Amino acid sequence: MKKPILLPPERVSSHIIASRLVEATASQISQNRKKKMNLVWLELNGCSGNIISMMNGENPDFEYMLTSMIRLVYSNSLMVSEGEQAIEKLYKLLKSDEEFILAVEGAVATKNNGRYNIIGRYNDDLVTGLELVKKLEGKAKYVVAVGACAVDGGVSAAHLNPSQSVGVQNVLARKVIKLTGCPVHPAWFIGTLAHLISYGEPQLDDTDRPLLFYSTLIHDRCPRRTFFDKGIFAKKLGDKECLFKLGCRGPVTRTDCATRQWNGHTSWPIGANTPCIGCAQFGFPDRMEPFVSFDTLGDDKK
Amino acid sequence: MDKHQSMNQIIDSMKYDLYLLAINHDINTKTFLLGQLSWKLQTLEQLNNNLKKVKLPKRTVEENERLFTVEELSNFNGKNGVPAYIAVNNTVYDVTNNAAWAAATHFGLSAGRNLTNEFATCHNGQLEILQQLVIVGRLIN
Repeated sequence: MKKPILLPPERVSSHIIASRLVEATASQISQNRKKKMNLVWLELNGCSGNIISMMNGENPDFEYMLTSMIRLVYSNSLMVSEGEQAIEKLYKLLKSDEEFILAVEGAVATKNNGRYNIIGRYNDDLVTGLELVKKLEGKAKYVVAVGACAVDGGVSAAHLNPSQSVGVQNVLARKVIKLTGCPVHPAWFIGTLAHLISYGEPQLDDTDRPLLFYSTLIHDRCPRRTFFDKGIFAKKLGDKECLFKLGCRGPVTRTDCATRQWNGHTSWPIGANTPCIGCAQFGFPDRMEPFVSFDTLGDDKK
Repeated sequence: MDKHQSMNQIIDSMKYDLYLLAINHDINTKTFLLGQLSWKLQTLEQLNNNLKKVKLPKRTVEENERLFTVEELSNFNGKNGVPAYIAVNNTVYDVTNNAAWAAATHFGLSAGRNLTNEFATCHNGQLEILQQLVIVGRLIN
């Protein structure tokens, strides 16, 4: 077996890099060298988890993103307008020649031509998520799928999938930048957004995820890696050793959770003594189950 | 894009990273570039391994080699302290402590089964994955 390459200690995490990116973008906007980009945040078949996660953003925070980086044209959760007035703004944008970035959260329900996910009413006609995402794709400068559901159906498309939900890419012919995660870390989205505004498309992996955030296996940066290498395993949730025998998906999941952490660098699943459930892996949740197993270690080995 | 092309592309981008590493004095940038370089090196190694035409060694039934029937194999499901074994192309491998097989499960698959078809669908001829595993015996029909 090959000896794994040891990465240099990441003293300054990509956390710092993302915030540098954002600062550069904001200064370019304030110097009028860049225009504030329009953002359309479409919420389809999902749980709004990503927009909630986004509100936990720090350095920069959500308010900073809204006021200094983008002009939010549409987001059903955040905008003041409601009903037809809200949808009207989208159609107005479609008729104009203004550039915009389309961020989609939630899966696209395809059953009965999208009727399982009605997101508004326009001229007394019901507007489906499927219809709207197809209408907007042609005019959007970039399309970003935010979260597991938007990327490949995620929880909305979990086994049985009554609404026949699929990822955004399945219904669009153009390139979709994919931010996996359930939910997406605020820095992954805001950092990608900053990169799109300042420098255009970031470097992507072969599944169209920005390498800036999705290049490193959690396992390779895990503070409990030495326990794994020595074969010392946790027996129950809360133990301090490697959570591999409980079903940790860190060895197959590529994100920077181990160094970036969550909620303003407070903690992360493994830091809270629970296994990684691979929420940023394609095929989540079905292919990442079971999330936790207690029956791998025999009684005599406990 | 074929493998040669993508390897060349990675080498070019590594050269550029090296150049950036040489001209940049910012410690943050340097650390980031170093991380990028080692990631690219890993990818390159992986691609290089894929290029080598690895043929599955023709395995004959060796003396004292452990033989498993499908039923016997199903006992080695990784539960309650028993090892986790899987079979690919009639060879039985031990995945008990393989990183990608946490709790004896792997992308919705469980241990104790013949996974020849699943391996062929997902890992499309990447025999180096199998070469890293410990062989424990042979599956008999």
